[in-house]
Amino acid sequence: MPCVLADVPNLRIQNLTKTYPNGVRALRNVSLTIEQGMFGLLGPNGAGKSTLMRILATLQDPDEGQIHLGDLDVVRQKDEVRKTLGYLPQDFGFYRDATAERLLEHFAILEGITNRATRRGVVEALLRQTNLWEVRKQKLGGYSGGMRQRFGIAVALLGDPTLLIVDEPTAGLDPAERVRFLNLLSELGENSIVILSTHIVEDVSELCTRMAIINKGEILLEAEPLRAVDELRGRIWQRIVAKEELPAIEREHALISTRLLGGRRVVRVDSDTKPASGFEAAEPNLEDVYFCVMSGRVAVAA
Amino acid sequence: MKLWEIFRYDVTTQLRRYSTLIYGAGLVAATLLAASTFFDDVVRDGILLNAPMVTTACMIIVTVVGVLVTAALAGEAATRDIEARMEPLLYTTPLARATYLGGRFLSAFGVNALLLAIVPVTLAVWTFIPIGQAASFGPFRLWPYVRAYLVLALPNAFFATALLFSLVVLTRRAMIGYLGAAVLFFNSAVQEGIVASVLGKWELAKHLDLFGFIVGVAQWRSRTPIQRNTLPLEFEGALLTNRLLWLSISIAALLFVYLRFHMAHHAPTAGRQWWRRAGKAPVEAESRPWTVTLTPSRVRGTFDRTTRMRQAFAIALGSFREMITSRAALIIPATAWLVYDVVPDLLEFGLGTPGRPNTGRLVLLYGKFNVSGITVGALVAFFAGQLIWRERDAREHDIRDATPLPDAVSLLGKFGALVLLLVTMQAALIATGIVTQLGSGYYDFEPMLWLRVLLGMKMVDYLLFAALAIGVQVVVNQKYVATTIVMLAWVLPQFAGGLGLEHNLLIYGADPGVTYSEISGFGASLGPWLWFKLYWAGWALLFALLARLFWVRGHDARTFALARQRFTRMPAAIAAAALALIVLAGGFVFYNTNVLNEYLTEAESTSRSAEYERHYGRYADLAQPLVTATKLHVELHPARLSADIRGTYQLENRSGRAIDTIHLVTRRTVPATGVTFDRPSRTTLVDRDLGYSIYTLGTPLAPGQSLRMDFEVRLASRGFTNAGISAAIAENGTLLEHRPGSGGRTWLPEVGYRRGVELDNPGERRLYGLPRRPALPSLQDAAARNEGRGLERIDLDTVIGTDADQIAIAPGALRRSWSERGRRYFHYVTDTPIRNGFPILSARYAVYRSRWKTVDIEVVYHPKHAWNVERIARAARASLDDYSRHFGPYPQRQLRLVEFPITGGNRLTGHPGTVIWSEVLAYADPAADPRQIDFPFAVIAHEVAHQWWGNQVVPARVEGAPLVSESLAWYSAMNVVQENLGREHLRRVMQVMRDAYLAPHQTPELPLLRATDWLAAYRTGALAMLSLREAVGTDRINAALRNFVVEYRSGQPPFPTSLDLYRHLRAVTPPDTQPLLNDLFAEITFWDLRMKSAKVVPTGAAYRVTLHIAAYKLKVGTAGRETRVPMNDRIELTLLAAPKAGESRGPVLYRQTHRLHSGPQTLTVTVPRLPASAAIDADSKLLDRNREDNLKEIAQR
Repeated sequence: MPCVLADVPNLRIQNLTKTYPNGVRALRNVSLTIEQGMFGLLGPNGAGKSTLMRILATLQDPDEGQIHLGDLDVVRQKDEVRKTLGYLPQDFGFYRDATAERLLEHFAILEGITNRATRRGVVEALLRQTNLWEVRKQKLGGYSGGMRQRFGIAVALLGDPTLLIVDEPTAGLDPAERVRFLNLLSELGENSIVILSTHIVEDVSELCTRMAIINKGEILLEAEPLRAVDELRGRIWQRIVAKEELPAIEREHALISTRLLGGRRVVRVDSDTKPASGFEAAEPNLEDVYFCVMSGRVAVAA
Repeated sequence: MKLWEIFRYDVTTQLRRYSTLIYGAGLVAATLLAASTFFDDVVRDGILLNAPMVTTACMIIVTVVGVLVTAALAGEAATRDIEARMEPLLYTTPLARATYLGGRFLSAFGVNALLLAIVPVTLAVWTFIPIGQAASFGPFRLWPYVRAYLVLALPNAFFATALLFSLVVLTRRAMIGYLGAAVLFFNSAVQEGIVASVLGKWELAKHLDLFGFIVGVAQWRSRTPIQRNTLPLEFEGALLTNRLLWLSISIAALLFVYLRFHMAHHAPTAGRQWWRRAGKAPVEAESRPWTVTLTPSRVRGTFDRTTRMRQAFAIALGSFREMITSRAALIIPATAWLVYDVVPDLLEFGLGTPGRPNTGRLVLLYGKFNVSGITVGALVAFFAGQLIWRERDAREHDIRDATPLPDAVSLLGKFGALVLLLVTMQAALIATGIVTQLGSGYYDFEPMLWLRVLLGMKMVDYLLFAALAIGVQVVVNQKYVATTIVMLAWVLPQFAGGLGLEHNLLIYGADPGVTYSEISGFGASLGPWLWFKLYWAGWALLFALLARLFWVRGHDARTFALARQRFTRMPAAIAAAALALIVLAGGFVFYNTNVLNEYLTEAESTSRSAEYERHYGRYADLAQPLVTATKLHVELHPARLSADIRGTYQLENRSGRAIDTIHLVTRRTVPATGVTFDRPSRTTLVDRDLGYSIYTLGTPLAPGQSLRMDFEVRLASRGFTNAGISAAIAENGTLLEHRPGSGGRTWLPEVGYRRGVELDNPGERRLYGLPRRPALPSLQDAAARNEGRGLERIDLDTVIGTDADQIAIAPGALRRSWSERGRRYFHYVTDTPIRNGFPILSARYAVYRSRWKTVDIEVVYHPKHAWNVERIARAARASLDDYSRHFGPYPQRQLRLVEFPITGGNRLTGHPGTVIWSEVLAYADPAADPRQIDFPFAVIAHEVAHQWWGNQVVPARVEGAPLVSESLAWYSAMNVVQENLGREHLRRVMQVMRDAYLAPHQTPELPLLRATDWLAAYRTGALAMLSLREAVGTDRINAALRNFVVEYRSGQPPFPTSLDLYRHLRAVTPPDTQPLLNDLFAEITFWDLRMKSAKVVPTGAAYRVTLHIAAYKLKVGTAGRETRVPMNDRIELTLLAAPKAGESRGPVLYRQTHRLHSGPQTLTVTVPRLPASAAIDADSKLLDRNREDNLKEIAQR
């Protein structure tokens, strides 16, 4: 565990339920406790991740349930929460005609940093740290996806948030950018609660100290990624198969995943014992955990 | 096929939207509103609501207002794919550019066309279910509806859709479409209100207006009620060319869009501001090593009141910066330029005489002026939408909403941004105004006045509207629907009257108006204005509060529960303040308008007039004494805006019958009290509501006997009314005019029942069940010719007490002036009896004295307004000289020409011995007139002429009376102009006076002897006199007029009519000119004179000119039927040499009258020099509807 630099409160989510007017049940009885550090929220598209994130970011109200950030009631004390909140939504843009520097300054004022000199310092620091200092005079309309994403994080970091919510931030980033972005996030995790929602398993496995898997509005698994992977040790088997064999394997085994590797089809199955027919033991990874959980083969473990 | 698919898909989806339903409902409402603007015509002129012209007019009006719907549809069609971010999908389908654009355009146009079909359907359905106006429909005919739809609605929809669609496709912003719509709407208003009505450029306006609105207005105005009911809108001439012009513009716009539009990714341009072409291309910083580690600054925000204030400022400034650098902000300089361009014309005194741009006048023009008003409406509606939707449009809202920024601060900041924008707009207007002043060398800028009106009063109006706009945007939460609603809210108050909403407490933002005059300042008008505004500020606060409670933050639907949750202490306090303002200020206003004063709607006061006639009409022919002397003691208290008047009438029974009751007619608000007679009497009736009282004399007044009547009148406003406070009595610049029998009621009691107060309009009379009678008694009505009430001669003796520093004026010689108890008193007595009608004035005046023979001429003026004083005196001297030589002596020993504040109207009136002129005349600057016309001189000559025509010769109140007063006054003034300024000057004046015929006007229905309309009185009559003078000779005409004066100047009944004038004119007209006299006055005659061609051949030292002329004469018979009649008239032929450099007109080479007959004819004339042009009736002495073809450049053979 990294040493605690600040007294960061924890985030307690209890029995959260949210149903949309069109009948979609986005969250069902979700309970989580999130401590300082990086927390990964993993789930497929439409699992309810963004709803949960928005509720945590004070932009939606749950139908039922409570959320507390330390002593703050997130649902009722929105204004207080927002003072310590950083939020990077999944889908966002910026006013195209503004330059990065001006808009960041503007947001700094909105975050309550009204002293001019202080604000200048904060803005410069953030722009330098997100590597946007050189392009600070350019209009946001001309920014690339990665630049915009970094600018978004710069905005989210204003006001030294204790709770940072980033909703699918790596989608649309190129591999190098993704790595840098994740590094940046992990550094943030040293001082605050960072909740990262994603459907990319690697994001979580590389960064998060804790994670949850959510599907159809329910938390299927809440665990530490490494422990969860450990629990699968000795149960994952893989082999290269021909396309015609797939249906048979699917029938006979608990299929976790099928994927192409160098043009050949590799299947992974879950089994307590070594299955016959050419399977060999494989090192489990978080993806296996994810698929196992999604297919209901692994019970919720904490 | 693909085109059809796109069209079909788009139209069906659009029709299924609920916004389409709203638009449809809006159009139904607009149709009914448009039709309601004709209710007045229905009542007054018997117009049928389904007359073809009304149908067409409704169609035009709805398409003008409906351009907002067009904007919504066109904008939607043009940006739908962009807003759905679907364009990459569509652009990559094998869809041709033309098909894509064409489909989108046609579907928008199609839906618009379908929606507009609602208009004829609504109107047609109304004829079958005639609610409200049952009597006013003729038989149903389908064709007029179809025709109006095809000729106006459909093309209008096409033009507007094409232009707005093009605009939106090019800018990729639907909101720009709304701005475009506002421009089109506003263009029509400007064309109608300014280019046509003020500048008189009707032909230009007809073409520049996209909707055919001006053509409609022009045709409407040029038709008589019968024609309006029967004829359709003529689809020819200007309307046809208008349609063709806009069709080509629309097609050009679509073509341009087709060529410019690429189905490709829209690359963001670096520099979007209109003032900067392009910025630097963004530098990719991605590839640089990214090594800096993150060490978060531990800076946290502070959250206190100061922070919130700074946040609000930051939002206001930031948003303002965005708005002002956007293209839409160009509307501000554009408006400023337009105002700059147009305002000098609005400053004109009359007939285009330039006016000095004094601040007071400019400020009022700027304040009232539609140009800036409409622009502000569009600006606020547009930018309120942009501001409220700014974050959501940029998809920045989630990030914003998660910041610790209170909603109220956001709201306040955005409102602040609108305020800054409006301040900029007003500052631009002030700058424009000051530039206008500088440009005409006027340096008295009065900056405080500019600020008070433009940044003070006008700003209040705009802020009220801005609050409404923001409230609507937030609550409706549909950007385009809300923008449409806001724009309608700006326009609709204009229709409020039609909906029966007259009270200013019912029309958002309304007030009784502010008056301003350089003499009186704002007077008492500010108080009522402020109270109304306080009341509306309460409502504005409520709108702001609604915006606060329903502010969109986060993703959940807004509910009342949420609003209730947000209704914390501060909002509750605001709600309480708002309600307090509404109740207290509203209550106070209501107390003033409806309790202290009686509030009557327009219909109610009309019905009072009907009541008056029903109740007391039976006394119309009751013998009543006439006033022979009036004695007034007026205690004027300018600062208190009140006057206490003690009056005495000397009444004489000239009826030949004993009179036992005295009937008094008073103004409802100014009752006569303490009425006593010099013999016992009792009060029989006092009807305050109808202003009628009856006193029964103890002993009847025998014929020939006189009676003294004493009374008291108190003029003072009790609080204020819905129309504010009358400006008649002002702290400086009081004008009280006693004009008995002039139509309205006056502030002194009038003796005997007054027909002038009855309803005159036949339609209104029918509506209120009053017996039919002509608007004015006919020429043959002997009783009317003998009716002396209101026309009698009186001796006037007036004592006026006023503030010590003011001069008070009344007609007559100033007998004495003294000071008493810190007040100043003036005693005026008339030398000879005057017509019973006079003004009383008081202000801190300066006096310019002059003299003509035994007559003292005093020009009494506001000390700052000395510019034209000398000119006025000169014109008065010249006029007195001319008229007394030609028409007989001037009866008074003094002539005062007194200035009064513009609050009394922009006019001049020639009371006996006292001509009053509004301050606008002071600003007239004829020296700056490029046409070299001294119109103020002519106007003063006209008013002085009324000392003879109207005051000595008092026409009977029957048809044709204006010929005797106004036409003769103009004719006399023309003589003075010619004598003093020269014949050429008169020609120039007449040229300009004839411009009145260029404005659309009805074909005369009555000959001059019976006409009463403005054009006949002030133009045609004077022109006819001038024509006759040319044919008969000045001396003979003047002799006739002198005889006319001599016969009638005693002022005793029977009073003269136009027939008596005609009798005198005929007596001096030689037999061969009698037909012309008849043509001009007794019949309605037009000449159609054309110079077909003119050729010149040199013959030795001279030149022979051959002229081919066509000449026709037309008579207008009953029901407006025109027929050609044989012609045999003397017409003037003029040949002009080429003008010298710098002159507009060359020297006259030949001027002779020739006898012309009907049809084509050839004339040959020899002149010593080479002529350049030939003209027939060059000075348009005869009524010729086409003056253009009277002149021909001479071709050299």
